[in-house]
Amino acid sequence: MNTNLKISNVTKIYPGCVANDNVSLEFNSGKIYALLGENGAGKSTLVKILSGVIIPDEGKIYLNENNLNLNSPSDAKKNDIGMVFQHFNLFETLSVFENLIIDSDEQRESLREKIDLIMKKYNFPIDLDIPVLNLSAGQKQKVEIIRCLIRNPKVLIMDEPTSVLTEQETSELFLSLKKFSEEGILIIYITHKLKEVMQLCDEVAVMRRGKLVSVSEIKNENIESLANKMVGQNLKTIKKKKAKTSSDQLIKITNLNFTSEDPFETNLMDINFSVNRGECLGIAGISGNGQSELFQVLSGEIISEKKSIEFNNNYIGDLNPQERREYLMAFSPEDRLEQAAIPQMKIFENVALNNFKSSNFFNNGLINENKIKEHSKKIISDFNVNTDNIELKSQFLSGGNLQKLIIGRELITSPDLLICFNPTWGLDVGAINYIHETLIKINEQNKSIILISTDTDELLKLSDKISVIHKGKLSKIMNAEEVTSEKLGILMGGAN
Amino acid sequence: MIIDINFVGLIIASIMASAVPLILASCGELITERSGVLNLGVEGMMIIGAISGFALMTVTGSLIVAVFGAMLAGVLISTIFAFLTQTLITNHVATGLALTIFGIGISAMIGKNFVGIPGKEFPILFESLKDTIPLISPILFGHSIVFYFAFALPFMTNYFLKKTKLGLIVRAVGDSPESASNQGINVRLVRYACILYGGAMSGLAGAYLSMIYTPQWIENMTGGRGWIALALVVFSTWNPIKILIGAMIFGGLTIIQFHMQAIGVRIPVQFLTALPYIVTIIVLVVISRDSRKIRLSTPSSLGKSFHKDN
Repeated sequence: MNTNLKISNVTKIYPGCVANDNVSLEFNSGKIYALLGENGAGKSTLVKILSGVIIPDEGKIYLNENNLNLNSPSDAKKNDIGMVFQHFNLFETLSVFENLIIDSDEQRESLREKIDLIMKKYNFPIDLDIPVLNLSAGQKQKVEIIRCLIRNPKVLIMDEPTSVLTEQETSELFLSLKKFSEEGILIIYITHKLKEVMQLCDEVAVMRRGKLVSVSEIKNENIESLANKMVGQNLKTIKKKKAKTSSDQLIKITNLNFTSEDPFETNLMDINFSVNRGECLGIAGISGNGQSELFQVLSGEIISEKKSIEFNNNYIGDLNPQERREYLMAFSPEDRLEQAAIPQMKIFENVALNNFKSSNFFNNGLINENKIKEHSKKIISDFNVNTDNIELKSQFLSGGNLQKLIIGRELITSPDLLICFNPTWGLDVGAINYIHETLIKINEQNKSIILISTDTDELLKLSDKISVIHKGKLSKIMNAEEVTSEKLGILMGGAN
Repeated sequence: MIIDINFVGLIIASIMASAVPLILASCGELITERSGVLNLGVEGMMIIGAISGFALMTVTGSLIVAVFGAMLAGVLISTIFAFLTQTLITNHVATGLALTIFGIGISAMIGKNFVGIPGKEFPILFESLKDTIPLISPILFGHSIVFYFAFALPFMTNYFLKKTKLGLIVRAVGDSPESASNQGINVRLVRYACILYGGAMSGLAGAYLSMIYTPQWIENMTGGRGWIALALVVFSTWNPIKILIGAMIFGGLTIIQFHMQAIGVRIPVQFLTALPYIVTIIVLVVISRDSRKIRLSTPSSLGKSFHKDN
């Protein structure tokens, strides 16, 4: 039987933000639909409305011409709409089976048989009697999918399902989704990853700032056209001008070693390199090969021997991050919410955390709030952070905006060297572009960058010199023009 | 020295009797905490139950009215806690502490007129069987109905949590209220119910103290048992059967240290009085130290407010 799902003039307004602005869409079974948009475009709000978690201010939902009243998640379930959330809705300490039986009215035995059938049919081997917390992310997602399938859904909504999956798990998921679609389940796939849309879907709806901007068939689109629709402007292809060869050395690392007591950390062995003014040194590698240790040693979270790091003709190996900042170094760590910012604190408070003697944020131990707020406003406007409320808690900023805030906080004091670690990890296209432009600008101002990244494309785009880290050792430093991504791949695998 | 075997039986029975209020209050609080709510008001709810039971017994003369009245009083005072923490989203810890202070104060106020009044005799069951088998009979027979209920309660609680749908829902809410809510479970309703149930059990524990264990009203007569009940829940790692063990150890040490004082063992009295508290906790920590099991049985959302926003 055919399933037809219609969203008609749905509007949802939050204080200060229109999450969905008069959105109308129609879906038919037999196809896989993509709902595409940047973070904060309103995709998640729309699907939460479809699954009854959020009640819209206006608008109606029709399933096969019937007007649905979705006031709670159970209403959506009753109407055969299944949803797999981006953040799993599982009970970690309960067993898989307990997780599945909790919202089912069936007897234990018949439910178990049903689950076994589903697992066999779609090749989902999962032990039903172990607690969910022992499962991998991919397995947890399968549990969520099984939970939907038990109810024989007409509609299955997947909200950013691949953000926690490995490549292998992603292709497994795509196979399953195609199978569901063939069996007549209407699939709506929410994502901001363009590649996945091209690979998996038949039709794509693009959202931007709460509005629906286009609906089209995949065969008429390509990655560039979708990216432009998603961001709302023609994305410039960023290209770095070749840096003037300067020989003015800014930082020099000599015989740097780090031996960790933690068996899960990587030891650094005999690291030697130098970076000149106006240069970007890229450090490539598969994650877990010592990048995080290297970042910590460079930023001063791990203290090393005084003479192993020479910065601007000073030996600074034994200084902490605060002291290194006074010498005009700046740091952007990998984990934005854990290391770079304190999520529960307001934007301006996070700005104040990075203070210099010269910044005058504190007078005799008292907080100079006006000064900090003024400074924060400058960062927000200079670095395009999409909010005007500096009292907002940092956790409510999207990844892209938070990263802009952090980079802005580091750069507003115009440091001589910025060390960043995976600065665009998990960001959407628009934000990535902005960060890349900013990093190029730094180099143009004759300042230097050490860019530690697992994204090879990013490194090739931004670096003047590239080295590869493997098991705590650096390869020889190469000029970026001589390097291809194939060559990097080989070095990252440990070959010479 | 010949030890009368029936005397040993009597000592064990008295240990069990002293464990009853702890078991009742702990098993109630266990359900509350399993739903993710930390109610530190157990002491307050217990003492309210104690004065309500005693007062109702004196005024109405009916034991049944008194017992159920005490449970109802526990429910009523825990409703205040539920309203504050679940509807007004106040902090669990602060609200629970306030509840205890409130309960102690108001029970003293009501209790002024009941000081010195003798209690009534509470009927005991199987009295005729008391002398049939040495050692066993005094343990098994001749106790109040509340006593038998208390020793069945940990097993019933265990069954409820592990085998029933409702128990599963309570655990789910305590594990992740967000997920539960997204699954269509009414988190607030479940938590209200669990708080009220905890109140009823604390009320019953209090009534047992003032009507059966020491049938009279003395100000502050719970004497910290509510806090011990709370500690039992945590140190048993939310396991009703271990609560039973912990309550027995506590009761046992309390009774034994009385006897040690009586026969004049030369250890400072204060040390002996403090002994049950520390030993109970040490034993429970030792028997529950499997960190994987702790992770699995600790309600992840314990003490965190849940607010559903639309």
